[in-house]
Amino acid sequence: MTQTLVSLEGVSKAFGPIVALRDVSLAVDAGEIRGLCGENGAGKSTLMKVLMGLVRPDSGVIRIGGEARAIRNPRHAQSLGLGLVAQELSLAPRLSIVDNIWLGGEATPLIYRMGKLRARARAALDALGAQDLDLDQPVLDLPIGQRQIVEIARLLARDARVLILDEPTATLSDVEIERLMGILQGLRAHGHAIIYISHRLGEVFDLCDSVTVLRNGAHVSTGPAADQTRESLIEAMLGRSFGDMYPPRGQGVTQEGGVAIKGLTVPGAVQNLSLFAPKGRITAIAGQIGSGASLANRALAGLEPAARGAVLVDGKALTLGSAPASAADNVLFVSDDRAVEGLFPDLSCLDNLIAADLRAHAVAGVLYWARARALGARIARQVGLNEARLPSRASTLSGGNQQKLLFGRALARATPGVLLMNEPTRGVDVGARADIYRLMRDLCARGWTLIMTTSELEEVVGMADLVYTMYRGRLVARREGGEIELTAILADITHPVAKDAAA
Amino acid sequence: MFKSLRAHPLARPLAIFLGCFALLALADRGAGNVLSSATAFSMLETFATGALVALGLGLAMMIREFDLSVAGVFSLAGCLMALIGPEDPRLAFAAALAAGVLVGAAQGLIIVRLRLSSVGVTLGGLLTCVGLAYVLTENRSLPYDNLEATMAVTRRLWGVFSLRSLVSVAIVALVAIVFGATRWGREVIAMGSDRRAATTAGVPVAGLLVAIFAFSGFCAALSGAMLTMALATAAASGLSDVIPPAAAAAILGGVSLAGGTGRPLGIALGVLTLGLLRAGLNALGAPPFINDVALGAILLAVGVLDGPEIARRLAAFGGRG
Repeated sequence: MTQTLVSLEGVSKAFGPIVALRDVSLAVDAGEIRGLCGENGAGKSTLMKVLMGLVRPDSGVIRIGGEARAIRNPRHAQSLGLGLVAQELSLAPRLSIVDNIWLGGEATPLIYRMGKLRARARAALDALGAQDLDLDQPVLDLPIGQRQIVEIARLLARDARVLILDEPTATLSDVEIERLMGILQGLRAHGHAIIYISHRLGEVFDLCDSVTVLRNGAHVSTGPAADQTRESLIEAMLGRSFGDMYPPRGQGVTQEGGVAIKGLTVPGAVQNLSLFAPKGRITAIAGQIGSGASLANRALAGLEPAARGAVLVDGKALTLGSAPASAADNVLFVSDDRAVEGLFPDLSCLDNLIAADLRAHAVAGVLYWARARALGARIARQVGLNEARLPSRASTLSGGNQQKLLFGRALARATPGVLLMNEPTRGVDVGARADIYRLMRDLCARGWTLIMTTSELEEVVGMADLVYTMYRGRLVARREGGEIELTAILADITHPVAKDAAA
Repeated sequence: MFKSLRAHPLARPLAIFLGCFALLALADRGAGNVLSSATAFSMLETFATGALVALGLGLAMMIREFDLSVAGVFSLAGCLMALIGPEDPRLAFAAALAAGVLVGAAQGLIIVRLRLSSVGVTLGGLLTCVGLAYVLTENRSLPYDNLEATMAVTRRLWGVFSLRSLVSVAIVALVAIVFGATRWGREVIAMGSDRRAATTAGVPVAGLLVAIFAFSGFCAALSGAMLTMALATAAASGLSDVIPPAAAAAILGGVSLAGGTGRPLGIALGVLTLGLLRAGLNALGAPPFINDVALGAILLAVGVLDGPEIARRLAAFGGRG
C-alpha cells in the first residue's frame, strides 16, 4: 500500500487584494513524482513557499506523514522531511561543498567538518552519482548543473522525504537534464515523494506519474499523467481553449520602418544577433532562460553597458549602453522585474504614469499638474484602469493593473516609438492578460514597434507576428505566419537542429 | 597554487600590512626608528583601542549590515566605567559590558522584528548612547582614580604588549577560531552573500543578526571601558571618534560593504595596518596629518580595485594577454 507523505487540505493565502491560493488541496504519496503545472501567477510558487514555511497560509491544514503541522520556517520544514530546490539555488558560492551541504541544517552541530557528517555528505553525493565532486571545492567553481546536484545532496543528507523542485531544468544543458532525470527516478524508487514544478510539458509527461494543474490560485485537476494530452493540459492551465485569449492580429497594416539590429553582442550572453522588427508589428524573441533573448532586449533599452553592435530605429542609429539615450530616442522598456525596474511602489499611479517623461509635463521646468492629471485620466481610460485609482499608491494595485501603468507610459508619449517588453504578463492574472494583449495590439495600430521576450511559448504563438528563436546566445531561426507554431519553436529553443545561423 | 593563495581571504590584508611595513622600513633606512619595540608597543596599543570595535563592526558588515552605534556604546561604556567609580572596578566593568550587550541586542531585535535598515536603527542607537553619556557625565570630564587598575592595564608586558592589548588579541583570536572551525562562521558568510538563499537553506538569520549586534555592543563596551582605565579619565566628547578607523580597518581587512567576504583575522590585520601606519610615521617624525593622507590613499586604492569596472577590465586584459 502507498503511504501519503504530504497533504494540503483547503489551503488559502492572500497578499493584500491579491488571492494567491484559494482552497487548494492535494496529496502526494511515497514513490510518486507529481507534476505541478500552471501559468505564471497560478499559485505554484506560493504553494511551494507555504510548504517550506516561507509563507504562512491564511487557512487550511498541512499534514506531514498524516499529522497536522504548522510550518514555521524553512528550518522547521527541513526537520519535517521537506526539501526545496528553488529556481534560484540556495547555495553560498564562496563556501565549500561540504559546508553548503550542512549549511543551516537543524541537526548540524557547531563543529561538523570532521568524521561522521563529512562521511554523510560524501555518501549523499555518491548516491547521486557525483563521486567526482571534491567536498572541499568551493561551489563557485561548479557549473550550474553540478550546483543543483549539491543542492539535492544537501536535502538527502538531511533525510528529506519530500523533494520540491521548482523549474529545475530551466538553466541546465541537455546532458545535465538527462542526469537529473535519472537521479529523480532513482529517488522515486527509494520511496521519496517529489513535487516537480515545470513549464516544460515534455518533461512533465516523461517524468511524472501524476499531474496537478493550478489556475488563478485554485486547484483545477489532478490525475495520472498518462490520462492527459498536451492539449488537454494546456487547456486546463489556460482555462479556455487556446484561441479566445488573444486578439486578432492586425490585418495587412504595413508601415515603413522598424528596428534593424546588426551584429548585436553582449559578452557572455548574446552573440552576433541580427534581426529586423517591423513597425506596427509584434516581434517575439523566443528562448529559454540563459538563451540571451531577454538580454538582447535589455541591451536595446541601454541597460547592458558592454553591448556592442549596430541598431537602427527607423533608419536612425541608436546609442547602445545608455538607458537615457534609448529613452530619449523613444525606445521604452517594460521590465520583467516590475518591482525593481518598473514602478515606484510608494508613488501614486499618476506619478508613475508621467515619471518616465517628466519634461513633457513641465512648463519652464515646473510640473504642470492640470495637464498631467488630464493626461492621466485619458491614459487610465485607454488602458482600462479605474480613474479613481490614479491618486493611490502603485503598490496597492494588482499585478495586472501595475503592468497596465507601465504600458500607459508608452501610450502617454506623443509620438510612437519602440516598446521592448520582457515577460509582459508575468504575475498578471488571466483576466488582465487579455487587456494587456489588447493594449499591445493597440500600440501596434498606433505605429509602435513592439519587441517581446517571454518564457511562455503560448504567448509567443498567440501574439507574435514574427518570431526569432534563440539558443545559447545565438539566433536559430526566423519564423513568420504559419511557421509560428508551438512544437517548432520549442524544438528551436531546446534542441536546435545543428546549423550555423551566422553563416 | 599561486591562484589559490591569491584567492585566500587573508592574502590581501596580509599583503597590505607587509607592504606598509616594507615602505616604512625603507623610509627609515636602517635608523632603527620603525623596527623598534616602542613602535611595536604603540602599534599594539592602537590595536587595543580599535580592534574590538572594528571586529564588531566588521562582523556586522559581513552580514551586510552596518553598526553605527559602536561609537556611542564605546563612549557610554567608558563614561559608565568612570561614573560607577574606581572603588568597584568589577561592578563598573560588568555594568559597562551589560549596557553594551543590551544596546546591541535591542538594536538587533528592532532591525529583525520591524524589518528596518541597520543604518537608521544604529544611528538612533549612536545618538541615544552619546546623549546618555552626556547626560550622565553632565558634560564633564570624569577622573578615574584607580592608579592600580590604570597601571595594571597599561604596564608593558614582554616588551610590546599591555594587558589591554593582550585582552584584545585574545578575543580576536577566540573569535577567529570559532569563526573558522564552527558552523557559525559559515552561516555568517552565507547570510552575507545571499540572505534569501541562507534563509532557504535553513540558516537562522534573525538569531544570527541579533547575536552579531549584541556581540558588537559587547566589543565596543569592552574597548571603551578598558580605555577609560588606561587613560584614567572619561568624557562623553572625547570617546566618540572610533567609526572611521574601525570601518577603514574592516575594509582593509577584506570585508566588503556588499557582505559575504572577510575574516576576523583579516580585520585584525587591518587594525594592525592602521596602528603600524600611525606608529611608524610617528617614529619617522612625520606630521600627524600624513597618517590620514596615507590611510586615505590606501583605502581609495582598495576601493577602486574592488569596483566591478576595474575587475571587468582586468579580466578582459587578462583574457587578451
